[in-house]
Amino acid sequence: MISFSEATWNITLFSLGVALASTLTIFPFGIALSWFLARKRSRFNSFLETVALLPLVIPPVATGLILLKIFGRRSPLGGWLYERGVEILFNWKGVLVAMAVMSFPLLVRSARTSFAEVNPRLEQIAATLGASPLRIFFTVTIPLAWKGIVAGGLLAFSRALGEFGATIMVAGNIAGRTQTLSLAIFDFVQLGKDAEALGLMVITVILAFAGVGISEALVRPKGVA
Amino acid sequence: MRKNSVAVLLVFLTLGLSLPVKAEEILVSAAASLTDVLNEIGKVYQSKTKNQATFNFGASSDLARQIDEGAPADIFFSADLAQLDNLDKKGRIETTTRKNLLSNQLVIVLPVDSKLALRSPRDLLQPEMKRIALAEPSTVPVGVYTKKYLESEGLWDGIKEKIVPVLNVRATLASVESGNVEAGFVYKTDAAISRKVRIAYEVPIAKGPKITYPVAVVKESKKKGAAREFLNFLATPEAKGLFEKYGFVVLR
Amino acid sequence: MLLRCRLPLVRFTLDIDVSLEAQVTAIFGPSGSGKTSLLDVIAGLRGISEGEIEVGGRTLLSSSRGINLSPQERGIGYVPQEAALFPHLSVRKNILFGSKRKRGSSPDGAINLDHVITLLEIHHLLERRVTHLSGGEIQRVALARAILSGPQLLLLDEPLASLDIGLKEKILPYLRRVRDEFAIPMIYVSHNPTEVLSLADWVIMIREGKVVTQGVPHDVLASRLFLSDLDEIEIENVFDTRLADSNAHAGRSRVLLKSGQELFIPYVDKPANSFLQVRIPGDDVLVATKRPEGISAGNVLAGKIESIETVDGQSILRVKAGETFIVRLTAGAVGGLRLTEGQEIFLVIKTRSCVVL
Repeated sequence: MISFSEATWNITLFSLGVALASTLTIFPFGIALSWFLARKRSRFNSFLETVALLPLVIPPVATGLILLKIFGRRSPLGGWLYERGVEILFNWKGVLVAMAVMSFPLLVRSARTSFAEVNPRLEQIAATLGASPLRIFFTVTIPLAWKGIVAGGLLAFSRALGEFGATIMVAGNIAGRTQTLSLAIFDFVQLGKDAEALGLMVITVILAFAGVGISEALVRPKGVA
Repeated sequence: MRKNSVAVLLVFLTLGLSLPVKAEEILVSAAASLTDVLNEIGKVYQSKTKNQATFNFGASSDLARQIDEGAPADIFFSADLAQLDNLDKKGRIETTTRKNLLSNQLVIVLPVDSKLALRSPRDLLQPEMKRIALAEPSTVPVGVYTKKYLESEGLWDGIKEKIVPVLNVRATLASVESGNVEAGFVYKTDAAISRKVRIAYEVPIAKGPKITYPVAVVKESKKKGAAREFLNFLATPEAKGLFEKYGFVVLR
Repeated sequence: MLLRCRLPLVRFTLDIDVSLEAQVTAIFGPSGSGKTSLLDVIAGLRGISEGEIEVGGRTLLSSSRGINLSPQERGIGYVPQEAALFPHLSVRKNILFGSKRKRGSSPDGAINLDHVITLLEIHHLLERRVTHLSGGEIQRVALARAILSGPQLLLLDEPLASLDIGLKEKILPYLRRVRDEFAIPMIYVSHNPTEVLSLADWVIMIREGKVVTQGVPHDVLASRLFLSDLDEIEIENVFDTRLADSNAHAGRSRVLLKSGQELFIPYVDKPANSFLQVRIPGDDVLVATKRPEGISAGNVLAGKIESIETVDGQSILRVKAGETFIVRLTAGAVGGLRLTEGQEIFLVIKTRSCVVL
């Protein structure tokens, strides 16, 4: 009933690898933006926040279309990259871009909340004790917010693994090149190959369960079972 | 550090040396309904020519959009004439390489254990046929074709109340498999996906809608030679046999 | 120390212009009068558009000269009211957090870790997590951390507010030790007269962001202005005393005030000449126009009424009886006894009303 082939494992490894790369890529930006949103009050805040969270609410296919337009050869950015020999569409870079954009909001939401929960008074006191803003960030803010940040990273990673709509637009659905777990499941289901689909689904569910489960455990308030 | 650099260099050298030896690889953006048959054709092609065809399967409309934005596909194999026409108008494909390669046939499927008999589409009017699954008849090509066909047969008004519009072919098959509907309309090639449905009626090609699968080389392809070669292979008797095996009608 | 600032807050504008010479200055006022905002301005945690702040001859802020040092450059130790300690660090790491600052900024450069640890008796806490500390321990650790950062000025924001009465009295001696051991100027925010009288040399009373009066603690706390804030405030007398002798059998000790006035207090097991601070609630002092006889109270002091302030049916008397005592009576009692300024009277204080801090 369930089928695990060599292709299954290759697809799994590829998905894990790109999802990991995507999560690591968005990490510094996500942390910086979350911190900015939690700590700085500017009139760009709500605009920035909306843009960052947009992929969460608009259809993934629409996000994929936008990314296709941005990174396609005919756009200024895509053209510029193309002339330098960098092609995003139809290879792992496209998968990474789609995963990164789609999972970014989850990282930002979680990290922003945990930054906001750090009492700014502690950072202020650290400043009166002679600590530079950078030292405060790394010795006070991050250690106090790390759970939410890691939880957000795991959530983003799980979301990246599950990403479908934007990926298929930007990276295509090319077996052995851009096919992720989600794309492969879709393919197998469409083709009526339920045994193969089931194998991939079992893997996906286990990975998602672990990712989301650990993430939830990290941010769960103490004392609540 | 030095050791690593040497290793990296070796990898590059190996790759570099193997490149001229390695055959060319082309990318074919093809309609999802062609997945099974093209995968098999691709294997045969590689064993015969040492060249490799890689496939990007998806909805024809999405594939067209990707090519329009400059995605690096070498060949476009569409399930919908309009999508290729559209790209042709924009100058995105090599017009001279266009070929209308395949056609498909509408069929009516029933659950494999259904006791209902269906000798002609007219039988869908019988009261035992309570619900009929059909991919969304206003947008999805197979739905649009089916509606047109039923209208031309003068049956649409009689059965439109029984129509359950669903997402796509796969959803149509699933509804029929589960027995939630008494019958469904799909392409003949799609019916082969499921072993739990049986084809009760094939719409004659002459009476049915004209369903065309066109194929062409993409203008921006950097491997036009290899791409043409693959197109030629698709017209060989060997490929033709495989298409027919999967239920396609090969044109010309 | 020079302190001039203007900062618009929600309900009023903080508008302060004072020059401070005392080692410990208390900022006294009801909650919501802008005290914490003022400390934040001094520490540089709140930006202001207009002001001058000078500490120990160094300009920290000058809007006219375009100087505005960041909090980390100011060299100001801050013991906040809440969220005092870093919850993710051990006590040791907490108190060493600020010690990386170069010591040049400390006035004598002689603040040393062991000294502070010993003085505040926190040696046994060093390896603990701060989440396992009691309220009083937290305040001592926060104080140690602020001192060890080598500050030119210490800001204490109601360090005792969150502690219950018994604990407060245990912390006050530590604060006095810090005051006496280190020559660090302090600004102490409080709305508790006991603390102010116990620690400060100078009191600035603020209300709605403005200085309403300033002076030595006793004068300010007996003033008419002070009275209008009385709703939530207890009238207190706090005296520095020396222990004369103790009699365990009788259950009492005798102490001498600075003026030589003697006072009976509950028995204290300490050597003669020990320094003690004694608190007497202003509501526990009786006033008699004739020397009472056949009365259980241990202390009957002859004195003279210096002033009577009456607000909203409450009267505050300043009575010179060696020291100046502050007594609260109802306006009815003042009228019934026909008390007037300059009148000779007697103060009657139960031994048990005298509490050693």
